[in-house]
Amino acid sequence: MPISVKVIHRPEPESTSYLRAALSGMALTFRHMVNPVKVTQQYPEEQTELHPRWRGTHVMEQHADGRPKCVACGLCPTVCPANCIRLVGGEDDQGNRYPIVYEIDEFRCIFCGMCQEVCPVEAIHVGRHFENAEYTRARFVYDLDRLMEQDHPSTNLWDPSDPTGE
Amino acid sequence: MSTAPTTVTLTIDGQTVTVPKGMTILEAAKTIGTKVPHYCYHPGLTSPAMCRLCLVEVEGAPKPQPSCVTTVADGQVVKTESDKALGNRRGVLEFYLVNHPLDCPICDMSGECDLQNYVHEEGREHGRGAEPKRVFGRDDFGGDVLFYGDRCVMCTRCVRFMSEVEKDERLTVVERGNRSVIDTFFEEGLEGTHWHGNIVDICPVGALVSKDFLHKARAWDLAHTPSVCASCSQGCNVDLHTRDNGVQRVKPRENLDVNGWWMCDHGRHDYEWMNRGDRIEAPLVRQADGSARAVAWKDALGALLARSRELEGRGVKAVVSPRASNEDLGALAELVGALGGGEIVYRSERAAEEIVLEGFPTLARRKDLAPNVKGAQLLGIHRVGSDDATGGLDAVRAHDGIVVVLGDALEDADERFGSSAALYVYIGTHAAEGAKSAHFVLPVTTHAEQEGTFTNHEGRVQRFWPALTPPGMARPAWLVLGALVAELSGEPVPRTAAEAFAALAEAVPAFGGLDYGTLGARGAVAQLPAAATRG
Repeated sequence: MPISVKVIHRPEPESTSYLRAALSGMALTFRHMVNPVKVTQQYPEEQTELHPRWRGTHVMEQHADGRPKCVACGLCPTVCPANCIRLVGGEDDQGNRYPIVYEIDEFRCIFCGMCQEVCPVEAIHVGRHFENAEYTRARFVYDLDRLMEQDHPSTNLWDPSDPTGE
Repeated sequence: MSTAPTTVTLTIDGQTVTVPKGMTILEAAKTIGTKVPHYCYHPGLTSPAMCRLCLVEVEGAPKPQPSCVTTVADGQVVKTESDKALGNRRGVLEFYLVNHPLDCPICDMSGECDLQNYVHEEGREHGRGAEPKRVFGRDDFGGDVLFYGDRCVMCTRCVRFMSEVEKDERLTVVERGNRSVIDTFFEEGLEGTHWHGNIVDICPVGALVSKDFLHKARAWDLAHTPSVCASCSQGCNVDLHTRDNGVQRVKPRENLDVNGWWMCDHGRHDYEWMNRGDRIEAPLVRQADGSARAVAWKDALGALLARSRELEGRGVKAVVSPRASNEDLGALAELVGALGGGEIVYRSERAAEEIVLEGFPTLARRKDLAPNVKGAQLLGIHRVGSDDATGGLDAVRAHDGIVVVLGDALEDADERFGSSAALYVYIGTHAAEGAKSAHFVLPVTTHAEQEGTFTNHEGRVQRFWPALTPPGMARPAWLVLGALVAELSGEPVPRTAAEAFAALAEAVPAFGGLDYGTLGARGAVAQLPAAATRG
């Protein structure tokens, strides 16, 4: 196949006027100034509504008495593809298995949500939240207390009324 | 003499198999790699055929046969995977789940549980039981054992272990039907027995769990490394279960020649020392001002060689620990020889009496509480000191030549130990008070961090494998000592434990004929001189 060459005719310098193009551009700009349809969102004064399946930083659910719901079964560190969960299990004074150490490195986390999916007691959840700025890197390792303090809503990975997606 | 054939030929799942007469179908199926699910059967115990899970279809038999007690017969046609056998197992498994709590997430057995495995493989996908489950709660059986009655499948392996193998009936089944539960007779439960850890191993589900291991790690997180128990000279074959570079628990490894399927509780719980943090991590060389400086291996060994060449012929007195491997001790003996000869002694703890496992009398917790006492004896090293591994070092303390300590923690020595020696070399794993006057402190690995062999009380040479990463610059003692010997004698440095063992086999007649490669995981018996054999 022969190579086709497109010859571009450049405007001659000094003999071409750009006035028409400039005016049509300005017209578009001024039209948008009076356009009632708003596109720009005034964040942070206006908050974005996150989707129900948004997967952000984690939340640990707790019992009414403030104990974490986690039973330290070890499934989330096992399933975690980023290996970002550290768990040390133990026994509390009532003989229940509970996490002595539960840490999630949110920097290492890839927010796949598999920890929430695998949890047998629906304790760990990914959250609908994205504002995570901190002053130090160390603050991104969330320990158990920090995970229980998180008050943002947790993600619905599936429809509660139709858990198997049928 | 009978002329009856000693083998029978039968068909299992379409495969023809020839096995010795009198074998059970279950064992015969194992020989061709077919594992028939079972709970109550254990090769080390009698078979009551009460779990009803190993039922297989035998052509001609009116009903499914329990394969753990049905012996093989000529021409028998066994089907373990037929619709009838599978349907039977599915039904039995469903009954097991009627009262099983399904608390797998918090159960320590999860991941290595036979009920979990079998139900996953062959059970129903969804349970049909709507009735409430019976609840027993948790019971402390004493010793190291916790009992979760709800999880129990009533296989009675634990009851049979206590009555048939340990021969100390502490457990029994109380009540009948679905209220039946394992219980202890008296308040003390299993307290005071020496082998009860085995009932945790043989429990097919999470009914009996170890207090020591409770909630510590998940079964699938643990790496298993074959090793040899270092708590006495019996040399039980064990697996070290490790996670995060620490030993989490010790489990017996089957070896019918040594320990069967069992091990004692003393050995089972004697592993924390392998995880100790106060290790010597770099070679330390004493400076002129008395301080110790950490240096590179090359510099430490170079300085040590230069000093020992100056002192050649002044005589060597060496103290070793029988926790060191054959290769380590052999390399030390060579070094002592290369330095002009001397005396090597060992100290080790001795218990007052043996604790014999009644139902498996070749297994006992031996009097010598170190794994390689026989190995040291075969190398001509003799014992000094008392039964608690103290004393006996007066000659070493007063020696003014070369003093070498390998592995002995010198717990009864003060910081002045070895100060009269012209050259004192401490080769050890953990920081010790008695090493404070040493001119050279060389860090070596524990047996959990290196490859090597131990010789048990009957002269069986058994291999162990490294389970942990050694700290810092610690190296196996056979490598450190081998490098010194190589410099002194001009022989090549042993690069592997196998080469170190080959050198040992060449030098010491008792180990002659043994080959590291063929020792395998079962070990081989050394050629014991008649005098060294003891009952």
